[in-house]
Amino acid sequence: MGSGRWSTDVYGAAASYRAATGRSAFAYSDSGARKVHERLDPRGVDVRESRDSDEHPRSTPIAVLFDVTGSMGSVPRTLQSKLPELFGLLLRKGYATDPQIMFGAIGDATCDRVPLQIGQFESDNRMDDDLGNIVLEGGGGGQRTESYELAMYFMARHTSLDSVERRGRRGYLFLIGDELPYPQVKPAEVRRWTGDELAEPISVAAIVAELRQRFEVYYILPSGASYAGDPEILGYWRRLLGQHVIELDDLDAVCETIALTVGLGEEAIDLAEGLTDLADVGSTATGSVGRALATIGSTRGVAVRTDLATAGLDTDGPDDGLIRL
Amino acid sequence: MVDLGYGDAGKGTVVDLLCADGPVGAVIRFNGGAQAAHNVVTSDGRHHTFAQFGSGTLHGVPTHLSRFVVVDPLALAAEAEQLNAIGVPDPFGLLTIDAEALLSTPWHAAANRLRELGRGAGRHGSCGMGVGETMAYALRHADAPRAGDTLDPTRLRHRLTAVRDRLTDELGDLGGPPVDEVVSVFRAFGSIVSIVDGWSTRRALLDAGRCVFEGAQGVLLDEWFGWHPYTTWSTTTFANAETLLAEAGHGALRLGVVRTYTTRHGAGPLVTEDPALTAALPDRHNGTGRWQGPFRVGHFDAVAHRYAVEVAGGVDALAVTHLDAPDRAPELRICPEYALAPGAPTLDRLVPGGRGDLAYQERLTALLAGARPARLDRPARWASAIGALLDAPVLIESYGPSTADKRVLGRALAA
Repeated sequence: MGSGRWSTDVYGAAASYRAATGRSAFAYSDSGARKVHERLDPRGVDVRESRDSDEHPRSTPIAVLFDVTGSMGSVPRTLQSKLPELFGLLLRKGYATDPQIMFGAIGDATCDRVPLQIGQFESDNRMDDDLGNIVLEGGGGGQRTESYELAMYFMARHTSLDSVERRGRRGYLFLIGDELPYPQVKPAEVRRWTGDELAEPISVAAIVAELRQRFEVYYILPSGASYAGDPEILGYWRRLLGQHVIELDDLDAVCETIALTVGLGEEAIDLAEGLTDLADVGSTATGSVGRALATIGSTRGVAVRTDLATAGLDTDGPDDGLIRL
Repeated sequence: MVDLGYGDAGKGTVVDLLCADGPVGAVIRFNGGAQAAHNVVTSDGRHHTFAQFGSGTLHGVPTHLSRFVVVDPLALAAEAEQLNAIGVPDPFGLLTIDAEALLSTPWHAAANRLRELGRGAGRHGSCGMGVGETMAYALRHADAPRAGDTLDPTRLRHRLTAVRDRLTDELGDLGGPPVDEVVSVFRAFGSIVSIVDGWSTRRALLDAGRCVFEGAQGVLLDEWFGWHPYTTWSTTTFANAETLLAEAGHGALRLGVVRTYTTRHGAGPLVTEDPALTAALPDRHNGTGRWQGPFRVGHFDAVAHRYAVEVAGGVDALAVTHLDAPDRAPELRICPEYALAPGAPTLDRLVPGGRGDLAYQERLTALLAGARPARLDRPARWASAIGALLDAPVLIESYGPSTADKRVLGRALAA
């Protein structure tokens, strides 16, 4: 009926796991790869698509791009182990119809070898493969800036979303990091890393405005990153994104935070319901998620989401991506 | 795929064959734990006893451990190291584990052994790894450690400490390593293996193509339908696999595995047992186990296997292994009916009880203890004779340990 053939010695197991560390997680990066994986290479990509299909008739695109430079410390590895749960959480709780998730990574185009890595929108575990193929640069320039603007340029100009084009519903873009963007999208970097020819630079504010035609854009500043809680960095992103800036004090809660943000955005739940759901699935992160989302959750009740008909309207109030009634 | 006997029918070799026979997206385990022992021998002579990794690993097929599997992170490390040594470069990279799967700990194993020792001559034939103890603990305590807990250090420490303290209160000093060591190694396990949302992972795997559900132990050891108390703490029928398949909206071909003679490793009824066969058919992978006792061999028990098919809800096809054994053991026979007492009518069907009626199962055990083969037949063609007795077509015949010794008879498996 079986046996106890394999050793259950705790010390032997510890040695085995130590020896195996790095063999599996981020296997592509840890194998010494310093080139972008072909599946994640933005060069020459026309568009990354999120399409409706018979099986997934109402796709909800969700992109998660995280900073992989050295200032983020061990955060990217933690994200890589956490993010595969995101899809299941969204589906199980029904926060978004037919979620399609894309992962990508942001580095520094002025000095990194792999400053931009962008996967595909996937509705199955191929998204995990993308995560595993992300190169962890670990460098960065050390001047508190990373090429978020380049990533935002790609997402604004090289995505095609049925949710927006057919149904006037924007997707979600989460930027996870701890630094500032460079002030302009630079033509030379765009040419080098995407192959596009730009006549002149684009300001960050302009690319964000363009990006917001397609995505609800959120910035998550996790604890454990170098500049966590830094008022200058938070202030900058708040001026750019308004209340869509989320401070997260427990990185283990990143999936729950993203899932609830989407659930709030889709008006599937209010914050209290979302936190109850999390407790139901045994999450211990309700405190962190509740603190992180307190602002977003409390304003959701009076917000409507933008659709194509109203996207051009001039609105009063803070430029936070919400249009108030 | 389930084993219709007492385990050891050759599940490993059959899964290995299925994985060699065409693209398989994953091997999904749906019961048991690290005490499984599924042997695979490759045509180039490599051998591995699969316990927690699926038996398709040598073909590069990933394994998914569902929430019905009890995961032993310590034994897993040792098994991965051995796989690495025989040419699997990154065994952990082939593994996903449902965050809901229970974890067994050194204290569960110690408690299991203490209880088994306490039974004296009435031992259950446990493997001594604590799988049943882990299941029992989880029934009593909602905070039993699960795979997902290894990603949360505070919760993990709390839950592991609770296991040690509660089992120590109940049974006295268990020994075992310090909690800190166990927390540390379980954390390492959690950071290396992929702990996943099982529901979405399985749906993605099944949507993508053919998967093999690899059962552990055997139907005659089932916790509810086996000969109580000589059972394993595991649902060994198709039931768990069917639950997982239904959740993902898929179905499967139900394959039963039998070997040409009936064996049992550990205590409990074995009606057709014959010491001459035990001597004539030594098992290359099973000897006397410290916790299980000797490996016992008997004639093919058609009565017990028919019962297994019935409680498993029927099979679509059979894999018959060890078809080389009848040539090596001319005395080997098939038992189609039991004799209970001199002059009493013979018995060719064991009537299943209701699921959960352990008193009934205990009466069956008592009945079997007094049963003997009423008749022993020697068929000319073993595979078709067994197929006829169990009323199912034979799709796979196995004549030896390696992949090259197998024949796939039908194409239904490719569907």
